[in-house]
Amino acid sequence: MYIGIDVGGTSTDAVLLNDNKVQATTKVFNLPDDLLGSLLQALDKILQDVPVAKIERVVLSTTVITNWIAENKQDSVGLILMPGPGRKLQQYRKADVHIITGAIDYRGREIIPLLEEEILDTIKALKDKGYNKVAVIGKFSPRNNTHELQVMKIIKKHQPKWLIELGHIAGGELNFPRRVANTLLTCATKEKYQSFVKSIRAALKARNIVAPVFIMKADGGTMTLKNSECSPVETIFSGPAASTLGVQSLTPAGGTSLVVDIGGTTTDLSLILSGQPLLSSKGVLLGDQLTQVRALAVKSVPIGGDSVLEIIGKELIIYSERAGQPYCLGGPFPTPTDALNVMGLTGLGDSDKAWEAMQLLGWKLNMSPVEMARKAINLMVDMIVTEIEKMFLEWEQEPAYHTWEVTQKRKIRPQNVVGVGGGAVGFIPKIAVRTGGTPVLLPYATVANAIGAVVAKPTLQITLRVDTEQQKISIAETGYQSKLAQPDLDEQQVLALAKSELINRATSMNIDDDISAVEVLRQDVFNIVRDMVTTGKIHDVCVQTVRGIHCHVGVGG
Amino acid sequence: MQKQKRTGLIFFPAFDWAISATHPEREERLLYTRDQFFEEGVLDLPEIAEYPPVVATPHEITRAHFCIPGVDYQTVTAHRIAAGAAIHLSDRIMSGEIKNGFAIVRPPGHHAMRVVRGNRGFCNINNEAVVVEHLRRVYGVKRLAIIDTDVHHGDGTQEIYYHDPDVLFISFHQDGRTIFPGTGFMDELGGPTAYASTINIPLPPGTSDKSFLYVMENLILPMIKDFDPEFVINSAGQDNHYTDPLGDMLITAQGYARMTAMLQPDLAVLEGGYAIETALPYVNLAILLAMAGRDYSYVTEPDYQPDKFREDASVTEYVHKTVAHLQNVWKNRLAKQQSQLVSHDKYYYRQKNIHYDTENFEEKQLEKVRVCAQCPGHIMLDSHMPQTTGIKECGRVLAVSVHNRCCEYCIAEAWDVYKNAKKDERYSYVYMQDKTEDTFLTFRRKDGREWQTEG
Repeated sequence: MYIGIDVGGTSTDAVLLNDNKVQATTKVFNLPDDLLGSLLQALDKILQDVPVAKIERVVLSTTVITNWIAENKQDSVGLILMPGPGRKLQQYRKADVHIITGAIDYRGREIIPLLEEEILDTIKALKDKGYNKVAVIGKFSPRNNTHELQVMKIIKKHQPKWLIELGHIAGGELNFPRRVANTLLTCATKEKYQSFVKSIRAALKARNIVAPVFIMKADGGTMTLKNSECSPVETIFSGPAASTLGVQSLTPAGGTSLVVDIGGTTTDLSLILSGQPLLSSKGVLLGDQLTQVRALAVKSVPIGGDSVLEIIGKELIIYSERAGQPYCLGGPFPTPTDALNVMGLTGLGDSDKAWEAMQLLGWKLNMSPVEMARKAINLMVDMIVTEIEKMFLEWEQEPAYHTWEVTQKRKIRPQNVVGVGGGAVGFIPKIAVRTGGTPVLLPYATVANAIGAVVAKPTLQITLRVDTEQQKISIAETGYQSKLAQPDLDEQQVLALAKSELINRATSMNIDDDISAVEVLRQDVFNIVRDMVTTGKIHDVCVQTVRGIHCHVGVGG
Repeated sequence: MQKQKRTGLIFFPAFDWAISATHPEREERLLYTRDQFFEEGVLDLPEIAEYPPVVATPHEITRAHFCIPGVDYQTVTAHRIAAGAAIHLSDRIMSGEIKNGFAIVRPPGHHAMRVVRGNRGFCNINNEAVVVEHLRRVYGVKRLAIIDTDVHHGDGTQEIYYHDPDVLFISFHQDGRTIFPGTGFMDELGGPTAYASTINIPLPPGTSDKSFLYVMENLILPMIKDFDPEFVINSAGQDNHYTDPLGDMLITAQGYARMTAMLQPDLAVLEGGYAIETALPYVNLAILLAMAGRDYSYVTEPDYQPDKFREDASVTEYVHKTVAHLQNVWKNRLAKQQSQLVSHDKYYYRQKNIHYDTENFEEKQLEKVRVCAQCPGHIMLDSHMPQTTGIKECGRVLAVSVHNRCCEYCIAEAWDVYKNAKKDERYSYVYMQDKTEDTFLTFRRKDGREWQTEG
């Protein structure tokens, strides 16, 4: 038996899966500031008469990190940057930025050395301002981490208790500004996240659940709860990923589906191509911060069932802000949910109130409540369809750096339009007609997140770079950097090395049982030629565990 | 708030294509530029929009070239993508979606001439010429300027537009007596129908940022202002850089950025530049930021110092003299009589020996231009490769090109030339490029077939 739990902003959802069938589901509204209490309530509801010894796995998804960041509840962090020549990042939002001397180039060679005195001055300045958390980030540190390590060593010597995060570990891809974001967020959320993990452990212990615990990542994979403590930012936006995986598990394998998750305030769009959720080519955008966190390609449209409807002049407008509950649930303004109610497309709320809401809107335009409701629904559908078309265009506009990628570009439109979330029932058939797909409404649509969590599998990726001229080897995801053990490696050896590193890492993370196969995402090799002589090779290989879900879910007892 | 238009970027490093494993035009060329771009996060900047490359069609290539025997034989996918990328950006600029664009693509193109028998100076297809013809045909753009800032003379682009009064071609480069392709002297000023629409500014080895910008400010910008083009293309070669292995100039990334900021090209297309570690990552970044209107002042080479290069006084003096001479040519250009330039003849003739350095063979070409008082005339090219045999040869061919502004008499005469050549057993292929109708024909003698590229 497997348990999936989605800890959201307003509710905690849980499902119990038994023999690939849903045995129990629940939705518990969160108790204010009592995560433990909410978790216990949810567990108790799905575990009635279930022997806990039969629980084999618990998987969580959560938006808590996302919410802390959105609400500015993270801890304050001092930034030490080494941008070198190129773009300077003299300001990074409201962060306290300290730029120090020192630079590395794209091959990992030192261009400008560090100045120890300057580092000491910076530590003093940070101390005077009361910081005890510091993020240290150098440009090109994934190619050479010695500057970051040296700075850390000096800080540790003078301030042994400070929490220090390094760029090459928190953000190993090539993108300095996003690395700054990753490192800053990791540093700012780590302590809080540890208390979140503590509550989870306490809840499971209280109910004698000893099964391994995993947490979802934004890329639709999972990691062990223990490992997530080192990199809490990986869990941001795991909510939308969970709902996409939920759909993947509830629809037949191999299909192409557009997932439309219509919630109260936002509508999330994602894609399942030939049975696999589409990954974003770039990292997650969190508020206005671009990060290196790998994620499923989810487009968030700021309208939902609770969005406010208003007539301005002769125009019907949907506002992206939420001003409370829909009118039919006692809220202050008419909303799309009220329109659905009038059309008989949702059972939510008081239908007299819903009619009243549509009447309030309609009289200005001389429209009956039914006409008004139809107009409101059509407007919402229009807006969502426009965003869907934009999303497909954006996906086709992805850059390509190889000739084979250009010649293999294709145009794809979905077979299925799958609705998830409270508002889906009323909108999906109309959206499907407009996008040329078949509308699909799923059972358990309201707890798709928790189902997605329960079927998610661990994912692991290794990007290995070998520079035989510089005699260097590095792994982006782990921050590992070392001298090359042997003078030369051919393409086969590099690939074998990448694969064995992946397996080793899986073993060290306790997820090796779930790794069925390894796939090669990319393998490039570049001849380094100087003065007409080949002086070495740069290998760039990316391998990952084959992505997938544990099972397709059926309707159970 | 009015949203500022963005700078379009197509970055196509062709990581799976090389001329050969150790050739300068290999996979590694833009690897460090990619690293620098990615690491700097420039693709995330709100001022920059990255677009995917697109494959140019044979028809689009045929607007600019006679590929012998055909486009498929002379190009691989990488060539078509490089040209297609430039076209795609020009479309986005014309639609008003972006304010300007930078195509960082390989392979380059500015040594490719109108007739393509093979690879010259690493180039098969002239990416800029393909864009010019696209803009004229699709958008009716009338006047264009191409500013070639590569260290090598842009002899291919010059050859294609030598008789075209609607395209101002300006190339500044290291003096042809000291570097490939050995052309680009001050007296190469265009044919009788297009006098002074070709301008060459040979610079002595050792020219630094100071003189580079002096030429831009005192010669190129005023000429562009006078010519008043609707669209400006920069053949943005980066081998004037002080570390370039092929050139001997002393230009820095800052120099390139300032030059770009002054020139304000609509479209920049990467040409040469083979200091792939010491120059390209910095120069490409500086040019892109300059085009996007971002601060580029910190983009410097690791060993850069503001006063690193003191230009020799004799170099400065030589550059100033060159500029003064060309200013004079430009000022008096309208006084030149067409009839005088063509010695009162009806046709202008040029005999060309064209060397293909990559595979080492020679093409002989007779160029015959109808000098017409009413229009830019038509061009006949009689080409053969006397020393070469086998598939490369394709025998002697005749190619006729009709300018898009040709008068009806010139059009009729050009079609007569084409029809007569089809009957002439000496030519194994006969080509017709009629830009007034966007019609391109190929006739093959072997089987008497004639076909048209589809538009």
